[in-house]
Amino acid sequence: MGKQVTEMLKGTLEGIVLAILAIRPAYGYEITARLRDQGFSDIAEGTIYALLVRIERRGLVDVEKIPSEKGPPRKVYSLNAQGREYLEEFWRTWSFLAERLEQLREGGN
Amino acid sequence: MDTGSNEPKSRYRQYLEVVTGPLEDKRRWRQYKARIRNLPENYRTAVEALERYLMHFGPGDGADAALMFEDLADLFEQSAADGTPIREIFGEDPVEFVEAFVQSYSVGRYISRERDRFTSAIARAAGEDTGNEERTV
Repeated sequence: MGKQVTEMLKGTLEGIVLAILAIRPAYGYEITARLRDQGFSDIAEGTIYALLVRIERRGLVDVEKIPSEKGPPRKVYSLNAQGREYLEEFWRTWSFLAERLEQLREGGN
Repeated sequence: MDTGSNEPKSRYRQYLEVVTGPLEDKRRWRQYKARIRNLPENYRTAVEALERYLMHFGPGDGADAALMFEDLADLFEQSAADGTPIREIFGEDPVEFVEAFVQSYSVGRYISRERDRFTSAIARAAGEDTGNEERTV
């Protein structure tokens, strides 16, 4: 863990967040909390926010603002059709990578 | 233009005025600054440090810069309301956070000009006819 996992996560965090949103819509904070529950404890909340801004701008999620008792309205993110398509592609790429890496580990072709 | 503000013109403000021509962007900038002033002190300090960094590495497009600062205000108002510790927002490496954040917006003029220049220099060195001759930016 540590440095290496941070580096590897950089390329996959977007897919991970989309996968979390595919289960059900969530607030930014819920996403961070779920990642932490799954052992990704080093991920900064700001980094998740940056990623949510990015996927919103790329049209992969729909955003609904829900009034909140304390603080500004909360943004709830849900995966839209374009996001689902993107996530499918992410899983295909992931399978390809995982397979090739496994082959490398087994030392051959 | 007198904004009625009694604080001296900050470097950020000067930067923004260079970058953001339209009044609409200036209005959005003032609204953003007002939101930041209402944050608890440590959040405000953190945002001001971010502003300074983004002055160098942030977007070159005015409307995009305004949007970026509004997104930042959203994040920090939310974090202050939730009481999220500063370190949890930024993580161990604040540069990593800000670089991830800035990726959603257009790149600054200086950076974009140098990237174009570099890309076409390599194309020329590789003997490719890019059809776009040396740009005179």
